[in-house]
Amino acid sequence: MSKENNRIIQEANKQFLEQVTRRHFFQECVTGLGAMALGSVLGGCNWLGSKDGSNSMLNTNPLMAHAPHFAGKAKSVIYIHMAGAPSQLELFDYKPELAKLDGQDCPQSLLEGKKFAFIRGVPKMMGPFATFKQRGQCGAWISDHLPHLATVADELSFLKAVQTDQFNHGPAQLLMHTGTPRLGRPSIGSWVTYGLGSENNNLPGFVVLTSGGKNPDAGKSVWGNGFLPSVYQGVQCRSEGDPVLFIKDPEGMSRDLRKASIDAINEANRATYEDFKDPEIVSRIAQYEMAYRMQIEVPEVMNINNEPAYIHEMYGTKPGEACFANNVLLARKLVEKGVRFVQLFDWGWDSHGTEENLAIDYGFVNKCRATDKPVTALLLDLKQRGLLDETLIVWGGEFGRTPMAENRDGKKNPFKGRDHHTEAFTIWMAGGGIKKGYSFGETDEIGYSAISGKVTSFDIQATILNQLGFDHEKLVYPFQGRSFRLTDVHGRVINEIVA
Amino acid sequence: MITEFIAHFHPVLVHLPIGILLLAIVFHWLSTKEKYAQLRFAIPTAYLFGAVTAAMSCITGYLLAGSGEYDETTLNLHQWMGILVAFSSATGYLFSRTKNINQLKWVSVLLLILLTVTGHLGGTLTHGEGYLWKSFPGAKNDSAIALKPIANAQEAIVYKDIIQPLLQQKCYNCHATTKQKGGLRLDSETWILKGGKNGAVMHAGSADSSEIYKRVQLDPLEEKHMPPKGKPQLTEQERLLLHWWIASGADFAKKSKDMQQPAAIKTALSSLEKAEVVVTKRLDMPEGEAPKASEATIASLRKNAITISEISQSSHWLNANFVNCTKWNADIEKQLASLKDQMIWLKIPGAQLETTAWKTIAGLTNLRRLSAEHSNISDQDLLQIASLKNLQYLNLVDTKITANGLMQLKGNNSLTNIFIGRTNISRQDYISLKTAFPKAILDSGGYRLEFIATDTQTLHPKK
Repeated sequence: MSKENNRIIQEANKQFLEQVTRRHFFQECVTGLGAMALGSVLGGCNWLGSKDGSNSMLNTNPLMAHAPHFAGKAKSVIYIHMAGAPSQLELFDYKPELAKLDGQDCPQSLLEGKKFAFIRGVPKMMGPFATFKQRGQCGAWISDHLPHLATVADELSFLKAVQTDQFNHGPAQLLMHTGTPRLGRPSIGSWVTYGLGSENNNLPGFVVLTSGGKNPDAGKSVWGNGFLPSVYQGVQCRSEGDPVLFIKDPEGMSRDLRKASIDAINEANRATYEDFKDPEIVSRIAQYEMAYRMQIEVPEVMNINNEPAYIHEMYGTKPGEACFANNVLLARKLVEKGVRFVQLFDWGWDSHGTEENLAIDYGFVNKCRATDKPVTALLLDLKQRGLLDETLIVWGGEFGRTPMAENRDGKKNPFKGRDHHTEAFTIWMAGGGIKKGYSFGETDEIGYSAISGKVTSFDIQATILNQLGFDHEKLVYPFQGRSFRLTDVHGRVINEIVA
Repeated sequence: MITEFIAHFHPVLVHLPIGILLLAIVFHWLSTKEKYAQLRFAIPTAYLFGAVTAAMSCITGYLLAGSGEYDETTLNLHQWMGILVAFSSATGYLFSRTKNINQLKWVSVLLLILLTVTGHLGGTLTHGEGYLWKSFPGAKNDSAIALKPIANAQEAIVYKDIIQPLLQQKCYNCHATTKQKGGLRLDSETWILKGGKNGAVMHAGSADSSEIYKRVQLDPLEEKHMPPKGKPQLTEQERLLLHWWIASGADFAKKSKDMQQPAAIKTALSSLEKAEVVVTKRLDMPEGEAPKASEATIASLRKNAITISEISQSSHWLNANFVNCTKWNADIEKQLASLKDQMIWLKIPGAQLETTAWKTIAGLTNLRRLSAEHSNISDQDLLQIASLKNLQYLNLVDTKITANGLMQLKGNNSLTNIFIGRTNISRQDYISLKTAFPKAILDSGGYRLEFIATDTQTLHPKK
């Protein structure tokens, strides 16, 4: 330990001591002494499963690659979340019967005892605003809104009867990503990096990219670490300007000096850890070190300008803008570099029909056009790089949309639109050991409710973890006296779509 | 009903006589020793409490038996043994009061046997036949019987060959000889038609109104869902077949071919002809187990920014990613070579290696997956790699290799996936390569997406 660092530690200790007063001592006496006694009792219990004494946490990198429960087929995940919830009835769930009912009053049987976010009174049924065809060898129904995706239908596995119990965006997104509609639980990407670590120590294990403009309604909690150490939280990267904010050295600060200062801070942190054993300190040390390494690696990975022209053409990127296509290309680059979990959030899919941008007949169509090509390009690009079989792609929203036209406050909406629908919607998965050209689950003739192959967000989470090699019931973290897991007490691996 | 309420205390109460009487027996035996002689004063009281709680257990047990959900023979035996326990403990009380110690010895031995047997019978009633040995190592596990493949599903008798095995596997535990929950038995035609205490469970011809189907179809979180939470559930296919059988009249004798078969049923039937549990062998994993790799070697490779870990917690096979280590020194080569028994998946994207390093890789004979995309691998290096006879996945995207180079791997029959996009392999070479590697998928990449005008246009209402 160098002299200067010693001084920093002494200073930190002095500051800490100055804050402890006599009053403090008496206040802490009761709980403090009790906790000390308890600590010495529990200390013998090999608390963290460490084999070699108390410092094992300090000496291991929390992001070091770990072995999963069993050999997984997927190494990484790209989760494409279309926030707002795209209409399954205009994309994948073909319902010719619904077309026949277009414009008729919705039968009471579908409304009794149901709650909708905006529909009031008796809405009209609304036929699909799309032309459907069967695609590929598998004969999956995909509408003309997604002409590119239709060409790769044989790579996809559809889940046609996904259900949720949340009809508002925020809670439904949280449920999808953290396993509960309330705040405070770790997101799936955090669980995965907690379980698997990172393949590339110079990059975060869990990266989040949003399409610019708007974050998801549920806010940053959908990629939060909850009660897991914060080193596992999703790192949001920006696709324009500095990819990660505040990572550049300030002017006049050389890289050597930066390294020296980080070393000194970390040494002080290590000493503090010795005293308090707070795992968050280990996180902080790891984060300082990672930030330093990321300074070099991140700008390089996050720069799509070095990609050849044919790749840009394939994805339909718009260099210099924060847009979905750029993010999809970035996702491919990150996965190629060993990032475990890339979470993409797009927005603007909330097609209520209240305004042009949120209309099934306008905004929705434009969203399809802007995302169809990049998503398809991602599949094909991963395939030609030999990465599709080890990269799991998940595409979906937080819920579906009603077979009825929305009538906000009982009045006809100015544009074609559908309300939030929890009882049936479509999610697809591809790559990562998932069956190719397969469809599981069915909805009734008008796409209102699921009739077979129902799955929930928990089943989807269990399946994602399964593909990575985890038994979702065993990937747990002890917190507040019990072992928590992503799927809580639910979840079933959807073996029907596992290859 | 109040009796039913009281009856439910039986499973709690039974533990009192067991504990108290065992304590009485222990006291009795200990009291023969000088040191514990004073314990004998406690013996009569212990026997008395034991007798009283045993009697209470008998009464609640009798009320519970009235629910008629249990196997009669076992129940009868359990009942009489229980009554015997109550009587013997009362006798024990009387003997202990009269200081008739010699006879009390025999009573205690009898009680010990009775308690064990009665308790075990009670356990059998609640947890099912053979519950005790179920998790004993080496014991046969009933619930693990998978549906046996049927030679010809069309010739099969639907009830006997398809539905009955399904019921046996998923329902008999609670609805057959040992237990009849809800008064329902499903282990023969008569019982199925008879239904449970709440009436018929099956309406032939109408599956959706049949309780037996409704229950399996319910949300698994609902209390009435069957089989109960935590028990093995019906698969989607089994549900489909059950629905089909009931909907087409629930005939107990008909063969599949004599019943109408929608498309989904046809597929479900034909899949019954294959073994139910098809454990697809993974080509990218060797069979058996590897010796544990040296931790020092792994730690030292990690110091060079190499990601390396076991492929699963129950295995010593290794996988490594050299994405941050594209130039190797002699140490790294040596360490990697020493892991040749364990290394099965290796990623070296962008590696710029010397010939010796490629030789090292060629020595990793267990290798199943090699990702060498963007690397400086040459045709000569590829010749070395031909020695990797187990290689199943080979990624050569964006390298300088030619068709002749790849041809050197001809005869390497384990290769199933070869990626050769953006190499010096031309379209003409592709056909000859395809014949050289008949079992492999050769991906030459170069995928393009059609240019569609609407991709860059946005749609707006006409003003």
